[in-house]
Amino acid sequence: MSCVCILTPVVIAAWPQFSAAVVAAATTLGYTLMDGEQKGAAQDQQVSLEIEQSEIVTGQLGRDQRVRVMRDGVMVTFSRDARGRATVCVSGKGRTEEELRALGEELSRRVVQKYVHQRLLDEIKARQFVVVEEEVDENQAIRLKVRHWDG
Amino acid sequence: MKYNSQPSTNPMPQREFEIIIAPDGSVELTVKGYKGKSCLEAMKIFEKIVGELKSRRETSEFYEPEERVQWNIDQRH
Repeated sequence: MSCVCILTPVVIAAWPQFSAAVVAAATTLGYTLMDGEQKGAAQDQQVSLEIEQSEIVTGQLGRDQRVRVMRDGVMVTFSRDARGRATVCVSGKGRTEEELRALGEELSRRVVQKYVHQRLLDEIKARQFVVVEEEVDENQAIRLKVRHWDG
Repeated sequence: MKYNSQPSTNPMPQREFEIIIAPDGSVELTVKGYKGKSCLEAMKIFEKIVGELKSRRETSEFYEPEERVQWNIDQRH
């Protein structure tokens, strides 16, 4: 062994990459992708969050880019704010603010994990690294073993 | 999931990377097979891909005589 490091993720993604990560994460956690412009009822409790260190780049200014998922009456909407940050709106009837915040944070973290996983796979394969093992452990961490031969 | 795509025999130096992507997206990277500071160059590739370096520690091999390895660390999006 030579060295070990911890890296904090920074999400800089085009909307298609980001929304793909949202769908992958939501599916993993049992959410269903919602079509159309369905919105939460006015009386629903609502919490807004922001994914730290995120920037959603887009060449389609003015387009309303959002993706909605739902589970057990809780709707989570991911979108891009005016500054380009990924925002998360969580709403659900009969839920406390703390519950909604916890659900939104759980899903947001998993979106970042899925984004990092896909980005790593794309980038290391482009550099002729070979993924020799991949598994998800009991803590839902994704473990990759990657090899590279100098030549 | 196991892959069987690695070469069975290869005379070139083999480098191994163990990557753990935590449920919050943070990444623990273990770099094996390097001696000296060349492992830091390899680590920079992953830093470019993932984000910011939070912490780093070196093992005894880090202090062995250095190798000369050249990497292309262009940022890709």
